Amino acid sequence: MRSMTYVWWREILRVILTLATAFLIGAMIMWLSGKNVLMAYKILFLAAFGSSSAIADTLLAATPLIFTGLATAVAFRAGVFNVGVEGSLYLGAFAGAWVGFTLKALPGPLIIALALLAASLVGGFWALIPGYLKARLRMDEIVTTIMLNYVAIYFTSYLVNYPFSVPGLANAMSPVIASSAIMPRLMPPSQLNFSFILALLAVITVAIFFNRTSLGYALRIYGANPLFARWSGIPSSEVILKAMMISGALGGLAGAGQVLGVNYRFIANFSPGYGFDGITIALLGANSPWGVLFGALLFGALRSGGSTLELMMDVPLELIRILEATIIFFVTAQFTLKWINRRRMKALPTS
Amino acid sequence: METFVNICFSTLRMATPLIFAAIGGVFSQQVGLINIALEGLMLIGAFTTVLGAFYLNSALWGVLMGIIAAMLLALIFAFFVIRLRANLIVVGLAVNLLALGLTKYLLQVLFATRGAFAPKNLPNLPPIDIPVLSAIPILGDIFSGHSFLVYLSWLFIFLTPIFLYRTVNGLHIRAVGENPNAAESVGIPVKRVQYWVLVLSGAFCGLAGAQLSLGNLQLFYQNMTNGRGFMALAAVYFGQGRPLPSALACLLFGFFDAVQIRLQTTIGIPPQLTQMLPYLIIVITLALISLRYVRQRS
Amino acid sequence: MSYLEMRGITKRFPGVLADDAVNFSVEQGEIHALVGENGAGKTTLMRILYGMETADEGVIILRGKQVQIPNPKAAIALGIGMVHQHFQLIPSLTVAENVVLNLEPRRGGFFIKKAAVRTVRELSERFGLNIDPLAHITELSVGEQQRVEILKLLYRKAELIILDEPTAVLTPQETHDLFEVLRRFKAEGRTIIFITHKLGEVLEISQRVTVLRRGRVSGVLETANTNEIELVQLMVGHEIIPTIKEQIAQASQEVVLAVDNLEVEDDRGFKAVDGVSFEVRRGEIVGIAGVEGNGQRELIEALAGLRSVSHGTIRLDGVDITYVPNRARRENGLAVIPADRSVEGLSLSSTIAENLISTRYYCSPYSRRGFLNLSLINSYAYNLIKRFDIRTNSPGFPAGILSGGNLQRVVVARELASMPRILIAAHPTRGLDVSGTNAVHQEMLKFRHEGLGILLVSADLEEILSLSDRILVMYRGKIVGDVKPSETNQVKLGILMAGITQIQEGSRQ
Repeated sequence: MRSMTYVWWREILRVILTLATAFLIGAMIMWLSGKNVLMAYKILFLAAFGSSSAIADTLLAATPLIFTGLATAVAFRAGVFNVGVEGSLYLGAFAGAWVGFTLKALPGPLIIALALLAASLVGGFWALIPGYLKARLRMDEIVTTIMLNYVAIYFTSYLVNYPFSVPGLANAMSPVIASSAIMPRLMPPSQLNFSFILALLAVITVAIFFNRTSLGYALRIYGANPLFARWSGIPSSEVILKAMMISGALGGLAGAGQVLGVNYRFIANFSPGYGFDGITIALLGANSPWGVLFGALLFGALRSGGSTLELMMDVPLELIRILEATIIFFVTAQFTLKWINRRRMKALPTS
Repeated sequence: METFVNICFSTLRMATPLIFAAIGGVFSQQVGLINIALEGLMLIGAFTTVLGAFYLNSALWGVLMGIIAAMLLALIFAFFVIRLRANLIVVGLAVNLLALGLTKYLLQVLFATRGAFAPKNLPNLPPIDIPVLSAIPILGDIFSGHSFLVYLSWLFIFLTPIFLYRTVNGLHIRAVGENPNAAESVGIPVKRVQYWVLVLSGAFCGLAGAQLSLGNLQLFYQNMTNGRGFMALAAVYFGQGRPLPSALACLLFGFFDAVQIRLQTTIGIPPQLTQMLPYLIIVITLALISLRYVRQRS
Repeated sequence: MSYLEMRGITKRFPGVLADDAVNFSVEQGEIHALVGENGAGKTTLMRILYGMETADEGVIILRGKQVQIPNPKAAIALGIGMVHQHFQLIPSLTVAENVVLNLEPRRGGFFIKKAAVRTVRELSERFGLNIDPLAHITELSVGEQQRVEILKLLYRKAELIILDEPTAVLTPQETHDLFEVLRRFKAEGRTIIFITHKLGEVLEISQRVTVLRRGRVSGVLETANTNEIELVQLMVGHEIIPTIKEQIAQASQEVVLAVDNLEVEDDRGFKAVDGVSFEVRRGEIVGIAGVEGNGQRELIEALAGLRSVSHGTIRLDGVDITYVPNRARRENGLAVIPADRSVEGLSLSSTIAENLISTRYYCSPYSRRGFLNLSLINSYAYNLIKRFDIRTNSPGFPAGILSGGNLQRVVVARELASMPRILIAAHPTRGLDVSGTNAVHQEMLKFRHEGLGILLVSADLEEILSLSDRILVMYRGKIVGDVKPSETNQVKLGILMAGITQIQEGSRQ
């Protein structure tokens, strides 16, 4: 009987190797640009973790990433390539903002609750469109979700440029939400807010969902082996649709978190690609909620530390993006597989 | 009438990057690999073209650099997907991300700018006046006076089907795309063919980027492609992987691109809605195609 | 000196000795049939000849010289061609393009279509293959597609032609046409090796026949001097397996599964199940014997609710379930052991417990209000592990670590634990060793005693004979025999499975 620990070890090794490679490549790029690599990484680390305010900023940056990472992971686990989390994020953000600036008369906590509810419903239903197309029409979800992202981004931009625009403002943004609806801060003066707690709750909820609910079980089994799921009677359409709904809802919450906690209004094109980062994070975290948390914290650290690095050493934040891309490349590559296979081959008796 | 002529002229210019990228996409499709990375490849091409033109003081060299850069990125893409068997879609997205990050980074590091890089005296692609054609009223104004890349793209629209359907290599590409096992069984080196095609699609995307940055605007600004690579991909889906219909779809999208600014000012349709339109139409059409396919089977 | 001689060929796969010191020879210009049951080693032997496998021991001597055949390219270069059971054609290309692929007539980089079409047309006419070079593969029937494969080999100048179960996918008329073609080849001096399990065809077309059984040559005969019975005897051996089930009173008369005039299409749209009717009663094991590929897969999928039915009905305890989805059928007492255990019957990356609960996870008490009762599921798993003797320390391990026999125990455990009324078991002991096979059989008999009705689909005649109360034989989508095990034996079943419906002593079909 082969050992269980073998499997774990391999996954962790893969993550470590991937990160090491990414940092190496980042180092090379910085060196080529004439920057002091060691100092750069030291600043990066300190800016991310060096003080309590640094940590607060890291957690703040991680908040939307936790949501989008979870959103993507839920879909991926079910075998659905949902690249449309960005779209759910935008629509969810707008829905949350709308509640925030329309239902001003209600008590603060109620507005927040309704805003979150609206965000998850809107984000969820948005994701149902490609989900339905996949479940019923067998339509490939990748191109659909990518296209729909653009639709969502432009549509919400339209909304704040026209029907919901604020007269007199140069930038495209919605009215401000009710001041009572602003998410309470956790560690002022940082903008770290209650959304982070919600994000942590989401991690726990998704973990419980995957491991302890019947739907979560069905989703995992279907993602692991769709044929087996069919032969066991698990209804595949249902699984796909529900997975997408949950995925979209989480994406919507990511957007609402930003609106209620950071921007206090909906700003057109506000997302620097949180949805797409979700993909990287989900992959890095092997689609598990705790892995996603780890990945989100890592990227949050990179982002927040990265902006300080930019300020202090004139290293553009885009380096982080390059690191992220490198991570994706290596995370899905199958090196380790080949290396281990070659060793196994040698161990077999020759026939 | 003048507006009509202007719109047609713009359409042709705006469609060219889409056409080049779509041709790259068509080749990838024919060899059986969905090329999600058209966007990133085009972006790198756009950037490097301007970079090359600036440093080497020649538009032509700029275009050449753009092509080479895109081909290199495509090589990396191909390496991870074919040799290391990484997931095609995921790596494609990573290529886009890499291109975005790299171009923004270099923009900042080399030219200390976040937005646009528009050097004065940047060598541009000279508009070419076609002798007899330019004399004809209306038609002349629409079809003459484009950069050579625009005309090159038309040439490729013509050459691509010939290559795919009349040459031996084209036959091999189509065989590999449809049934790699069968191709392998007659001795066609499937992986090698796929490598070549991906690198070739990189070259086309390089040309696409060149027209986008140097040809249309004589500058580069961050995230210049803004989804055009995906539009080209959608055009490929529209045309079901065939060169001519895909090119026509590109023309349509180029039209929307050219027209949206005018729609805002003249009819007053919000630009975001017109910008949104191509993507929406794509989703709807693809859905209709899938619907018909499913109906046929039952 | 023979045209081809394969001497002492031995090939081992993990756990199985496919070919055991096989000596196989073929004369020039003869049509030589190679027969044997599933797993007898015929396909492996030919794959070695065609370079798709390499023998562990033995030599190949072709035209008097010893040759190495490391890959198909080498085989083709030596003039060997093979038509596989699964065609290797490119659907949207034309016949001519498929035939000349990678050996195209060219000028510069251009493909000279005209020359290709002309060459293919000439070949087609010369050998009576009757194929339009300009047709697209999608427009062709299965028989025609096969002829395109043959054209491919002729174009590459094959002298020795191997056909692997060529008539498995053909109608009788197409088979007749194929035989005409083969006779033409013979007339031209080409040599043909013909793998089949259909003995009537062996007698019709071949000059000599080699029979393999369990990886060994059990006989090489002149076709003219033999008959089906002798061939079947060589194929299946002479033993009569004692039935291991007890002689209980007849099964009750209560019908638990009734299939009436069922028609099911395969993926290509052809009728795989062609008007099948039968009943299974409580406490009865009905065995369906037949060589794989005669419609069993489609029948099982239709019974499981995973493939749509084009005609006919399926009734479970009198209730019409023809259009009911799989889960509802299971809730009504249906259980299935799928043919492909690692792909259909299990999720190897999931835990053993997860595999055991896949059909019941959503039911109370395993699940309440959407939440799983993990401790109950765990104890349920332990329970099943003990009851069905699954060799593992914990149900928390991924199923992939288990051996074949244990994997099947998991499948059996899951399916039987739900106390079904009817169990459909598809090749339940395939690939299992003696103890594994025994374990599955014991469970099935135990449950039969409790009143479970079982439909056993298998190509293993020993299994069918020893377990079934009644045996149906399936051939080309139809039931061609309905006998009691006491009235038949392996030889007779083998004959029915080979499609021979009437035997008169000493005559040929």
